[in-house]
Amino acid sequence: MSDGPFRRLFRLDRSRAGIDRAVDDELRFHFEMSLEELMAHGLPPDEARREAERRFGDVPGTRARLSRIDRDRVEHDRRREWWSALAQDLRYGLRGMRRSPWFAAAVVITLGVGIGANATMFGIVDRLLLRPPAFLQAPGRVHRLYMARTIDGKPLYNGSLQYRRFRDIAQWSTAFDRVLTYWDSKTVVGRGADTRELTVGSSNAALWSMFDVRPVLGRFFTDAEDRPPSGTKVAVLSEAYWRSRYGARRDVLGSAMWIGASAYTIIGVAPHGFAGMSLETPVAFVPITAVASDAIAPMVQESRPWYDTYHISFLRIYARRKPGVSARAAEADLTTTLRRSYLAQADEQPAIVPIERALPRGIVSAVQDARGPEPGSGPKVAVWLLGVAGVVLLIACANVANLLLARALRRRREIAVRVALGVGRARLLRQLLAESVLLALLGGVAGALIAQWGGAVLRAVLLPQVEWTSTITDVRVLLFSAVVALGAGLLCGLAPALHAVRADVADALKAGQREGTLRRSVLRTGLTVAQASLSVVLLVGAGLFVRSLQRVTTVHLGYEADHLLWVSPEMRGVQLDSTGAEQLRERMLERAQSLPEVASAARGVTVPFFFSWDVDLFVQGIDSVARLGTFTLQAVSPEYFTTMGTRILAGRGIGPEDRAGAPRAMVVSEAMARTLWPHESPLGKCVRVNADTVPCAYVVGVAENIKRSSLGDDPGLHYYLAIRQFALGAGGIFVRTRGPAERAAESVRRALQREMPGAAYAKSTTLSSLIDGERRSWQLGAVLFAVFGGLALLLAGVGLYSVIAYAVTQRTHEMGVRTALGARATDVVRLVLGEGMRVAVIGLVLGAGIALVAARWIAPLLFEEPPRDPLVYAGVIVVLLAVAALASWIPARRAARVDPSAALRTE
Amino acid sequence: MAGTELDLLQGTLDLLILKTLVWGPCHGYAVARWIRETTEDDLRIEEGALYTALHRMEKRGLIEAEWGMSENNRKAKYYRLTAHGRRQLRARTEVWTRYARAVSRVLQTV
Repeated sequence: MSDGPFRRLFRLDRSRAGIDRAVDDELRFHFEMSLEELMAHGLPPDEARREAERRFGDVPGTRARLSRIDRDRVEHDRRREWWSALAQDLRYGLRGMRRSPWFAAAVVITLGVGIGANATMFGIVDRLLLRPPAFLQAPGRVHRLYMARTIDGKPLYNGSLQYRRFRDIAQWSTAFDRVLTYWDSKTVVGRGADTRELTVGSSNAALWSMFDVRPVLGRFFTDAEDRPPSGTKVAVLSEAYWRSRYGARRDVLGSAMWIGASAYTIIGVAPHGFAGMSLETPVAFVPITAVASDAIAPMVQESRPWYDTYHISFLRIYARRKPGVSARAAEADLTTTLRRSYLAQADEQPAIVPIERALPRGIVSAVQDARGPEPGSGPKVAVWLLGVAGVVLLIACANVANLLLARALRRRREIAVRVALGVGRARLLRQLLAESVLLALLGGVAGALIAQWGGAVLRAVLLPQVEWTSTITDVRVLLFSAVVALGAGLLCGLAPALHAVRADVADALKAGQREGTLRRSVLRTGLTVAQASLSVVLLVGAGLFVRSLQRVTTVHLGYEADHLLWVSPEMRGVQLDSTGAEQLRERMLERAQSLPEVASAARGVTVPFFFSWDVDLFVQGIDSVARLGTFTLQAVSPEYFTTMGTRILAGRGIGPEDRAGAPRAMVVSEAMARTLWPHESPLGKCVRVNADTVPCAYVVGVAENIKRSSLGDDPGLHYYLAIRQFALGAGGIFVRTRGPAERAAESVRRALQREMPGAAYAKSTTLSSLIDGERRSWQLGAVLFAVFGGLALLLAGVGLYSVIAYAVTQRTHEMGVRTALGARATDVVRLVLGEGMRVAVIGLVLGAGIALVAARWIAPLLFEEPPRDPLVYAGVIVVLLAVAALASWIPARRAARVDPSAALRTE
Repeated sequence: MAGTELDLLQGTLDLLILKTLVWGPCHGYAVARWIRETTEDDLRIEEGALYTALHRMEKRGLIEAEWGMSENNRKAKYYRLTAHGRRQLRARTEVWTRYARAVSRVLQTV
């Protein structure tokens, strides 16, 4: 360097050996100089050496020390250089963005949409399928237990089990160290004006030892407080409810809280975020025996009490394997336990299918409810949609890669100059990648914001029963977004960067603008074809789901759900005799019929998609009616069929003449009529209900089939009795509203609340909300497939446009020549259009091929929709061709307007 | 011997090295010789300690090193001050002078 007496002759060697060598060199020089000087002063060599070493001190120790210091220094320098190079690359990237902000914005938005779609879907899938309940200890060893039986050769899975079954498992199984029973349900909470229907979680005390939680306040309930027949009425509040309802006051302990029919003493508060096994945080956790003794015990008419009967199934059962016990061993143990339990059940219910045929066995499943042996279609659709979001991101990446590629071509000279100036290719590659990763990370931020706002709306509409932590605060979703962003940045940056760096310097420097574009446009066209074909796949999926949703919403239910409300009394401990209960319902009916917003009202005892009732039937000439299917019961007042909108096909409905004392009347469904009397008219037939000793009920009419438990194939075996001939004192009333039922629900409920005695509470539910749960998976599929398919189409359209537009600018010269040689504007338009359409058609063929193959897997998720529906395919073809035509028509017009003389003059 | 030689205070060696290098780049041997000659053997510095100090200072960025050719055409490692080292020298010299003045004033009053 300039101010030293030395020249740079030796390259720095940063290896360990190199460092050691350098230290040795330095010390050797020192000793040589030392010796020379001492000998020059007249010392003999031996003495000189000794003196030099004495002056130096500990030679080997110093040498080791020096090399250690140098190694530290080199390591430190290397790290600093790495960071400063990165900072420089990022600065370079930022500069690039500032120079072309529109380009940057396009990339960030494109990737943001792709990443946002993924983050949203990941949030949903993670919540439903991946994440164990918060605070759960050893989640890998905790399982939800199912009981499987074989009925008619088909496996039947039960996840809703009996308290007695829980006791059997807790008592007889040996593989588990904790067995938990859990039940959450909407329950009436509070008193007077404060009364709400809220979710209450109930369980045994194992809950508190399976989760790693401590009470924020007070204590949790104990085993001693959870003993059948009736547990202690104590409640542990959730932190959220404690905060919202009680203002987080510490003196809530010991105060009373009304849940269902009883007052519970508040004994503690669970920590923030604890939801037990529920997806939505309950307001309180109570001993299962305390709730069941109020809510379940009255429903049991059998000889055995609720905790000892196999008749009432309502619980979920979870268990934790002992350490060292494999899942397989636990399953075997559970099967042994359940077989023993099944034999005990046969004692109570001699009529059940014998154990040799039912083959009961246990299933030890993942703790997440959505991963049971028969997952609902919601989670399945969600997983599909995560895949679809991945495809959208791929399409977005292809677009960004296309943009970067186009820009890399524009920057060929700049890059070539840098290479010529001695910037290493590796460094250059890093720089270009840093730029695309930077863009992608910004896209990740945009994606997180999209997931935050767009996702919140989506989740609230489509999966309202699940409680969502917001995305911004959700570390797992953020991490996922960051990783996806990083991957996307590398993915879409790599090809363009490699291209740019590999370009031949001399070539790029001397060649004109148009050189070398042909080869690269092959890659760009390939990307566009891939985009088009992926969009086709998504659009086909969207079409199939939209058609499914269409079919599911127009399916004939046999009643007009949109205008129907179900209002029923929750007695909450108010005791009425059967006459009182009957009178209460008659009063409710009268009051409802007097309301201006009500068109008509009728009494009923069961509700479609809510709860059903079946009893034994006896028909002359038929050995066992039960063998022909499950016949479900409805008991109604005369206004029922007009209120529901269920048509009477033959005979008459239940009428005012069917009063107490008159011969019992029955209306049967069409399917029931055909099943019981395939060759005769059902009218006038005698059916004995519940026992073969009771008087006949005579069939007076046939009603159309209704969908009662499934929107798909519902057996529809359903019959109606006249409620006033039985005085059941049960059920509630159906209300047909003039406007949408949704809007009238609360006012009708409040009006009927005035008829309620004491603390009793009138509950109202719209029928469509009951059915919505059934429709949700198609709704989810249709909405999200359509959104993602639309995005994919938009991205593919923009991608096609940019490729064609770029090609047109590159070929300005050629177009000029063509025009000069006599080509008309229409010829040029046709030329460019043809190019775009060729891409679209290839994409269509490939995409349709993929969709046809994938049809097999998506078929089970559709509703009565053929997965190869030609209508859907036709629609997709039209849409894609239209978009492709539009995308290439714009640049085609520009090409046609090229002024030949100007184009020719530029070169 | 004992009592007449000063034990080197921690940090003083660094200061001496910085001062040595103020005239221009030097290799380790030259630094050692210069200190020895200037202090006329009042300070006994082990050369091993001197090299340790040089390498530490290089790590801390007070000085930087480069290989070059010595006066007699041999490969030697040269050290020179960095801007940071130069600032340190100024600051420490001032502190040292004040300190020395204070100590000697106390000693003189006895």
